[in-house]
Amino acid sequence: MNYIVPDILLLIFPFIVIGSRLFCSTKSNIPWRIANVGCIAIFILLNFIPLANGNGVFFLSNWRVDDFGILMREVLMVSAILGIWLSKDYFEHSADGRPQLHQIAEFIGAIAFATFGGVVVVSACDLVTFFLGLEIATIPMYALTAWNKKDLIGSEAATKYILMGSVATAFELFGFSYLYGFAGSLHFTDIQSAVAAGPSPLLWIAVLFLFCGIGFKLTLFPFYTWAPDVYEGAPTPVTAVLSVSSKATAIAFLVVLVFGPLAPIQEQIAPLIALLAGTTLFVGNLGALKQSRLRRFMAYSSIAQAGYIMIALLGPATIAETAIIYYLFVYAVSNYLAFFVFAIIGHHREEIFASLKGLSKQNPSIAIALAISMFSLAGIPPLAGFFGKFHLFFSGASTGHYAIVAFAVLNNVIALYYYIQLIKSAWVDEPDGHLTPIRLTRRQRSVVILLSIAVVVLGFLPFLSNNIFSGFTF
Amino acid sequence: MNLMNCLILAFILFGIGVWGLIRRRHLVGMLISIELMLNAANINFISFAYFTAHDSTAGAIFSIFVFAVTACEMAIALAIIVNMYRRHHSLDVDQLRELHD
Repeated sequence: MNYIVPDILLLIFPFIVIGSRLFCSTKSNIPWRIANVGCIAIFILLNFIPLANGNGVFFLSNWRVDDFGILMREVLMVSAILGIWLSKDYFEHSADGRPQLHQIAEFIGAIAFATFGGVVVVSACDLVTFFLGLEIATIPMYALTAWNKKDLIGSEAATKYILMGSVATAFELFGFSYLYGFAGSLHFTDIQSAVAAGPSPLLWIAVLFLFCGIGFKLTLFPFYTWAPDVYEGAPTPVTAVLSVSSKATAIAFLVVLVFGPLAPIQEQIAPLIALLAGTTLFVGNLGALKQSRLRRFMAYSSIAQAGYIMIALLGPATIAETAIIYYLFVYAVSNYLAFFVFAIIGHHREEIFASLKGLSKQNPSIAIALAISMFSLAGIPPLAGFFGKFHLFFSGASTGHYAIVAFAVLNNVIALYYYIQLIKSAWVDEPDGHLTPIRLTRRQRSVVILLSIAVVVLGFLPFLSNNIFSGFTF
Repeated sequence: MNLMNCLILAFILFGIGVWGLIRRRHLVGMLISIELMLNAANINFISFAYFTAHDSTAGAIFSIFVFAVTACEMAIALAIIVNMYRRHHSLDVDQLRELHD
């Protein structure tokens, strides 16, 4: 019973945060403090759940808490906590030429609901719960994208996002309905035994529809076009949450599906996964080459990262799950570090490459943090990103898909080029006299230092990847 | 009336939804197209539940959940579209040109 306590707390948490608004003034910091305490408490509680409990613990036959689920919960909580910290400054003054945000309590509540949706996805054991989880994770994201009601491009981005997202939902539902028709039941174990008994054309159509649907949410190749627009139009903290939480939920969806109900035909759908992975990372890398705005650049970078993560799905279940969890931790930390740096720059200047000029002379500490996060995302050896990518590629190669792994490694060279472009503008380009100087608040400085240390330490201690938090469970 | 007829009906409805989504330039029209696609999936669920499934209540329940979720989604979508209309004074998707490469 203890295993379900963090989930219940996470469900109650947004109501408490939003409810606390009733008892204090609009300018009050109390909802934000409650949010911090609550999120960190849930994260610590999660670390108390011992890992390696085999098949997981079941509640009501369709809620399962297993190792993968617990670690995914931790990734999602880390993302929520960092997202809340990042958003705080945007409620105090305007940034990047866009108006200030309002209603921080509801904002945090929406982030917590989206996180809970991710938790539902990783614990679901039947299609209804699975579908509801995905929707709970997505619907708050639409609202968060449109949070800035006065912003012209924010409302445009939200419109594009909700149209694309609803179409994705329709495709997914169609896939689910065929899967239900094929198996005659909604429970994963029944579906798995039906799939093992022998595929039929209905199953292939279902798989195709499901991959179309999730392709939208995970920004896979033919369906990625909404991502750059939405990432650019949304407020910066929302972009950060979108690129980590939403992506983690979507990849968890695929992991649950591919290693759960569809496990018997994993070998047959491997070419489809490899094709999607290869094209996605190629397109993401090519797109990132010619960007000049920081958030748009991060959108293409995260499209490419989705492609790298897809490669791990080709491997056997345990190796793939370990690799994906470890990479998601690393990706979350590196990505948030980059977004914190961009947010600090965005508070004083426009969020474009040219704003980074001469950063190493004016603010060496931010320039170092930027370099660490970019090198980690590119996968340079001593940092965490290298080991993350190594595990992903190892998972793909362990079932003999050498061609796609080689293709991904070659693509990494392109990726290195554009990440280094960013570092070049911060370290090599001469400072521009017109740029306003940058000051850091105490919170910004401590978070940037914390995340920089995390990126370096996760890289120096790669053995953590076998069982990330087992050392801390007692 | 057999399973095949229902599946073909659902597929045609889904096709109309996709076609409408591509052809329509008006946001409310596009939302209606999306609604058609979602309800096509509902017809699938109900017909599978009625004709073949071992677990026939599950399919019917699923379609009710779909209604609820769709209602939430449309509520948010309409809110966003109202906001969009206040900013852009138009519901034509071709006006969405601020964000591009």
